[in-house]
Amino acid sequence: MTGEDPGPLLRLFGLTGGRARPQGESFDLVAIVTTVSGSFETAELIPEHRTVLSVCRTPTPVADVAAHLELPLNITRVILGDLRREGLISIERPRPVAQTIDERIYREVLHGLRSL
Amino acid sequence: MDYAASEPGATAVASALAIKILIAGGFGVGKTTMVGTISEIRPLHTEELLSERSVGVDDTSGVESKITTTVALDFGRITIRDGLWLYLFGTPGQDRFWFMWDELALGALGAVVLADTRRLDDCFPAVDYFEQRGVPFVVAVNCFDGARRYDPAKVRRALALNEKIPIVLCDVRERASVKEVLTTLVTYAVKGV
Repeated sequence: MTGEDPGPLLRLFGLTGGRARPQGESFDLVAIVTTVSGSFETAELIPEHRTVLSVCRTPTPVADVAAHLELPLNITRVILGDLRREGLISIERPRPVAQTIDERIYREVLHGLRSL
Repeated sequence: MDYAASEPGATAVASALAIKILIAGGFGVGKTTMVGTISEIRPLHTEELLSERSVGVDDTSGVESKITTTVALDFGRITIRDGLWLYLFGTPGQDRFWFMWDELALGALGAVVLADTRRLDDCFPAVDYFEQRGVPFVVAVNCFDGARRYDPAKVRRALALNEKIPIVLCDVRERASVKEVLTTLVTYAVKGV
């Protein structure tokens, strides 16, 4: 993805069919992705899809999936959107901060940071 | 492989949570270093491919967007416990990528604005941004080698910061120092709950 070589970009286009945005409802960079159980045996998947299904057997944030795939976040999101449409993964719906980070979570985070 | 009793996704999704903290500031101020100092993984570097039509486009149209540029995005991770992670995102430095911040800032716990006292102006845009959107933030003054220790009061005046906003002197290469910055931010953010 560096330099002038168009190869990687073309490959990325291939992965997403030229799409820059995922299908369906939008999701955050740190939305939790989970493989729907039993879906990993599907035969005709490309390697990137297999990787996602394998990694997300443990619920994994989108950013980490991108890291595993070594792909840009938005390409990763197109791939995730496709897998969701196929019913192979679930992606956490966006929630307001107030609903996700409550006092208990804050305390846990503080405690966790202090004991690093 | 399969865990017999588990409802597809639902249960696990509800119990796992990833929290975003943004590290903002001017180019070369030490954002990536800060992420690297505290992250349990080597900071992951991804490049976002940006298209001319990447904002506000109807994504069901199937119209191919022309990818025109890439923007680097670094992030690191701190595991608080199983199923609770803190993600530190180093925000893109250049002003023309501001629109990316909206997405990064959405749902974020808060932000660290890294400041270099030699180029204090560089962090004005970040301070403005977080103030306008009501995202809790702290200002961390990175004290580079040989740089004078700065009086936080002077920094506060120069940045016209509200009295309540914490200012921390730090060294982004020091783990203990970065920890202090982050605990200051979380402590400050919790007051808004």
